[in-house]
Amino acid sequence: MNAFVVWLESTTLSRGIVHYRWIWPLCEIIHFIGLTLVVGIAGFFDLRLMGFMKRVPVSAARDLMPLAIAGFVLNLTTGALFFIGTPHQYVGNVAWWAKVFFLVLAGLNAMFFETTVGARTMNLGAGDDTPRSAKIVGAVSLVSWLGVLYWGRMLPYLGNAF
Amino acid sequence: MTGFATWLEGSAIAVWTRESPSIWAYPTVLTLHTAGLGVLVGANAVIDFTLLGFAPRLPVLSLAPLYRFMWGGFAINAVTGVMLFASDATTKARQPVFYIKLTLIALALVVTAMIRRTVDRGPALRAAGSGPGPGRRLAALSLLLWAGAVTAGRLMAYL
Repeated sequence: MNAFVVWLESTTLSRGIVHYRWIWPLCEIIHFIGLTLVVGIAGFFDLRLMGFMKRVPVSAARDLMPLAIAGFVLNLTTGALFFIGTPHQYVGNVAWWAKVFFLVLAGLNAMFFETTVGARTMNLGAGDDTPRSAKIVGAVSLVSWLGVLYWGRMLPYLGNAF
Repeated sequence: MTGFATWLEGSAIAVWTRESPSIWAYPTVLTLHTAGLGVLVGANAVIDFTLLGFAPRLPVLSLAPLYRFMWGGFAINAVTGVMLFASDATTKARQPVFYIKLTLIALALVVTAMIRRTVDRGPALRAAGSGPGPGRRLAALSLLLWAGAVTAGRLMAYL
């Protein structure tokens, strides 16, 4: 792991991210815009899966999901740039690993939804309740994304980054 | 303003937020501010993108419960925002980007309230045969203003 960090920090990309002082703030701004898309759009769909806002047709709510995926791609990209820039402050950082854990949990949960419960919820219209399995998937997703946000914001305080 | 900022920075709540070693002080206040931002701007984004036509089968009126989440997020961020400002008031009161942020939030709130009126009148507008034009322009403006507020807030840590 240490050799990997040393190698990564010797790359041109890593040096550039640290050298050009405007890159980090710019990535932070994009990371926060992406955060609002993931929390807002995915969180909205999660709440509907959990049985809230029943007047919303489930499949219609899903039409917004490409925006949540776009937000996630923005954050994966800017997050990767943060990591490439200063890998040493993340690899040994408890908060960062907790963030990665919740990211993986959110990803596996979404894959589970797509391959099993998802299809059965798509014909649910306005006023229809969701099956218990969908409620659990929605709750796990919401908790996962809030976990990602919590541990990300706590990186400097629980993990001694920055 | 300088006198007020100095007084605010010395207040008990400011001192606690800034100097308490507890995880519940500055770190938690800052994290709540980020979570509140996600809920407030995120719920706005759901309505704005729907008005812009990203989910044509989604009835805008069914999104009305999101306003409660928005006000919840706004309340959290108003309280945590005052605490964060107080904890470092003399510095933040001298940051132009802080006043830009407040202005953008004020404008965004006005546009959000205008969108709410448009949403509530949605069925009447459709019945009258007029398209979703004004809603679209307001939605685009709302997205720009909220994104601008987030950008200004983030820049406060760097400028």
